Amino acid sequence: MKIGSFKWLFGRNSEFWPTNMKTGMWAWVGHRLTGLILVVYVFMHLSFLTQASLSHEKFDSLMEVTAQPAFVFMDFLLVCAVIYHAMNGFRVVLFDLGLGIRKQKLVFWVMMAIAAVLVIVGFWVLLDAGLFNGEWL
Amino acid sequence: MTENKIATTKTAGSWAWFFQRLSAVLLVVLLAAHIFLDHYDEVGAEITVGWVHARLGELLFIAIDYSMLAMVLFHGLNGTRTVLFDFDMFAKRKKAVDIGLWVLGIAMLVWGIVILWPFIAG
Repeated sequence: MKIGSFKWLFGRNSEFWPTNMKTGMWAWVGHRLTGLILVVYVFMHLSFLTQASLSHEKFDSLMEVTAQPAFVFMDFLLVCAVIYHAMNGFRVVLFDLGLGIRKQKLVFWVMMAIAAVLVIVGFWVLLDAGLFNGEWL
Repeated sequence: MTENKIATTKTAGSWAWFFQRLSAVLLVVLLAAHIFLDHYDEVGAEITVGWVHARLGELLFIAIDYSMLAMVLFHGLNGTRTVLFDFDMFAKRKKAVDIGLWVLGIAMLVWGIVILWPFIAG
């Protein structure tokens, strides 16, 4: 694959050029991006668990790392990706059932409103438990 | 005869589509249980080997973890398959991609089951 062959895909006249994208396209691109991020996360998660299963000492030292605010914030971003993917996924399933296709933009924003509430609640729970206190790096 | 041809075309397509939706719905339920029971309910708890072992002493948590593993692997790798097939170079090699993803998925499932076992056994 030559770099030039991506021009039709990502160039100024392509459907992926930001100003050419509409709501449904952004939703689709976001779904794929969060999906791929989550797949990469599953690999990282299994790799972490593998290291953690080696010994009690290794487990404890890894847990110390995961308790750091910067790491908790990464977890929060992960939850954001899951929430977006799940809420947009609901929208996709609704369309598969033949529901709401004519109002796809409205359905998208209703789902995003629910997602925003879940994200805010999630952030507040972590903040309230003091998980963002302490040294960030 | 177009209808007949579509109905009898040998492809994993419609099954892949159906199980992607089924695993999606199951994952929403499993993830909700996981986030609520393992994170919200125990937010800020100090995680030790003993804590994990005590938690996995309950069949419910073993069931949640192992079904989540299986569903996540299927959903994630099947989603990757969809993304890959949008690229010409992979769309031409569907069979090879399918076999590769199945081998990877089953290997990771077995690996995941094996590495969690010490925490269950203690």
